[in-house]
Amino acid sequence: MTTRSSPHSHRAVVGAAVALLGGLLLSMAPLSATAAPLTAASAVEAPASASVRSATIDPASATESIGVWVRLDSNKAAVAGVKVTVTGSGGFSSDVVSGADGKVTVGLPGAGDYTVKLDETSVPAGDGVPRAGTNPRTVTVAANSTGVPAYFLLTTATGGSSTSAPGSTTSPGSSSSDASSGPSLFDLLVPRLASGLIFGLLLALACIGVSLIYGTTGLNNFAHGELVTFGGLMGWVLAGPLGLPGPIAVIGALVLGGVMGYVQDLGLWRPLRKKGVALIPLMIVSVGLSLALRYTFQVIFGPGTLVAPNDTSAAVNWGPVHLRSSDLIGAIVCIVLLLLVAFVLLRTRIGKATRAVSDNKALAAASGINVERVIRLVWIGGGALAGIAGALIGYYQTIRWDTGASILLLIFAAVTLGGLGTAFGALVGSIIIGLFIEVSTIWLPANLKFVAALVVLIIILLIRPQGILGKRDRIG
Amino acid sequence: MDFTFIPLAFGQLLSPQTIGFALAALGLAVHFGFGGLLNFGQAGFMSVGGYFFAITAVKFGFPFWLSLVAAIIGAVIFAFILGIPTLRLRADYLSIVTIAAAEIVRYTVQTPQIAPFTGGSDGINGSSAAFDALNPIPPGRYGIAPLLYSASDLWIIICGWGAVLVLGLLVWQLMRSPWGRVIKGIREDEDAVRSLGKNVYAYKMQALILGGVLGALGAVVAIIPTSLQPENFGTQTTFFLFTIILLGGATTVLGPIIGSIIFWVVLSLSDGILSILVTNHIVPLSTVQQGPIRFIIVGVALMLLVIFRPQGILGKKRETYFSV
Repeated sequence: MTTRSSPHSHRAVVGAAVALLGGLLLSMAPLSATAAPLTAASAVEAPASASVRSATIDPASATESIGVWVRLDSNKAAVAGVKVTVTGSGGFSSDVVSGADGKVTVGLPGAGDYTVKLDETSVPAGDGVPRAGTNPRTVTVAANSTGVPAYFLLTTATGGSSTSAPGSTTSPGSSSSDASSGPSLFDLLVPRLASGLIFGLLLALACIGVSLIYGTTGLNNFAHGELVTFGGLMGWVLAGPLGLPGPIAVIGALVLGGVMGYVQDLGLWRPLRKKGVALIPLMIVSVGLSLALRYTFQVIFGPGTLVAPNDTSAAVNWGPVHLRSSDLIGAIVCIVLLLLVAFVLLRTRIGKATRAVSDNKALAAASGINVERVIRLVWIGGGALAGIAGALIGYYQTIRWDTGASILLLIFAAVTLGGLGTAFGALVGSIIIGLFIEVSTIWLPANLKFVAALVVLIIILLIRPQGILGKRDRIG
Repeated sequence: MDFTFIPLAFGQLLSPQTIGFALAALGLAVHFGFGGLLNFGQAGFMSVGGYFFAITAVKFGFPFWLSLVAAIIGAVIFAFILGIPTLRLRADYLSIVTIAAAEIVRYTVQTPQIAPFTGGSDGINGSSAAFDALNPIPPGRYGIAPLLYSASDLWIIICGWGAVLVLGLLVWQLMRSPWGRVIKGIREDEDAVRSLGKNVYAYKMQALILGGVLGALGAVVAIIPTSLQPENFGTQTTFFLFTIILLGGATTVLGPIIGSIIFWVVLSLSDGILSILVTNHIVPLSTVQQGPIRFIIVGVALMLLVIFRPQGILGKKRETYFSV
């Protein structure tokens, strides 16, 4: 290494940055005071169908019944705890609440037309509203037919996907397809730019680990999404069931994410490197690890959507942009952390060592850098950043057992776009991908926004396979 | 305790699902085992084949053979779209592009705007009508309880295993031919093959097409007895296929077939055992938690196979394609 600077000054700077970060996070504390009901987890213990009013008819013995099923449009995940009212002729009215599987059956007094109305205020935050024109709806029930379907698919304002931004968009229910008749392009574009930017920043935190791990070890880690999920779930556990304040939960996710990265490297990747396993088998191992971890999360945390306690009211209203305070703080935390990473990589000894290992492992080792130590630190740092990204995604949207897996390809797209193995490329790529997927929903159906990002990925590989900031010799 | 799951699990020996995965795994073996192409999007080939088959059969009323040809054409087109930009790239880029392409297919077919055509997220039902019309087996129940097959079950099983036999022999002969030697040569050392004057790109494309067509045919066999569901062609399907070929032996023809049989029998047995343990409260899990366990088993098995026996059950150690 050419430049040597005193380690004390670094500690001071890092300490100051951490203090700054902590201060920012502490301002998030009031959020957890207004605790929203924890949907999926608490509903699992509740009976599958809870009747609110006594006027209900036992669906098991009724000869006619309506089967209500509330799910998310994006990934068909069940939504529990949603209030649905069924009214019919003769003053029949029944209020029911969807169970843990999103389903509830309503017993009816007889055949006829019934109106099924979903109470949109009872939908868990971030899950959106029913598709336009489906609420309320009339269901015709023939004699002796049970479980007549009245299914609701919930969609968020941008059209409904698990990675859309519920808190930072315009009024829920405005469909993306009515651009011609509805608000102006400016009103459509600006909120999407805001949510795309925030999502891009969150993505960037998750991407840095992928990029640095690829740079230093050559491994395309398909299990990185699970580090994000792990952070999100840990943040939820700390903030939800354990009732800790939001900032503590986010910092906890950062720390636990780092521990997870360290444990993974120590228990799996380092022994495999020592064994001399080549890169392609390592990639397949990461695929297996991803499957095993993801479904372990599902066993432990259930298949539902988890919502960390948060203040859902908009704190900032800039024209058409409505942001919750947690969105804003999350974005600021992202920027601070990204600056910190840039500082560490550019100015500190370990950062220089990391870049040296990325450039040429043998040369770095020959010049006295402990390559294994650098790789270990990269795993810890990458895991920690993925962990905090997961926790912030949990606040920004919701967290599920497969949140990380669902954004893994976006992470890859961002990292490839920026240039595999370059940390700053990951940042540039993430912001572009984040903006792109949100803005594309103005013209594209919501479920195609991932498709748009993946098509971009393929086009980049055609035109400039090394990415925006990558080096030519990396593509091989 | 109800032990009927044991004979039912051994029913997986013959089931159309096993056949479908055997064919798709054979295709993946052509890509990955023989050709060294790290295709993480075999589920995409299956999906394209399945959709071409089901749409032509249900929406256009094509006869069975024409739908089958459509499935093959679909896979060939997909192979070209995928191969032209990516086959020049390194293996890790190829893997990301193929997995992305498979996901593009899965998301796109579920778009509400084209749902009248693709069935949206519900998929397409009833693509087997033309196939069942060809069924010469008289209606009735065949087999020994609890393994009873209807005439149409039996028909798809016979045709499916016939297809496995024919296509397995075809791949076996191809890999013994000069063409196969070039393919295996590309796996071992691309530059050496290129220096012999071979067009590596064209050979890779041919391998991609062959394996993709096998994947599409596998999907056709798998959807005929049930229905076409877009979610069945997610990334986990590709990873199941990788587990299958690594279990049996990625560089062999019999390996993917035997791997598929073992995979589904073991998975079905473990599901049954787990369900007994859960319903009798021997393990502290709920029935909801029981579902994901099979994926955990597959994930761990995939890791262990790669680390400890990359050549699989039938493969030879020296032929293991794991040297990049």
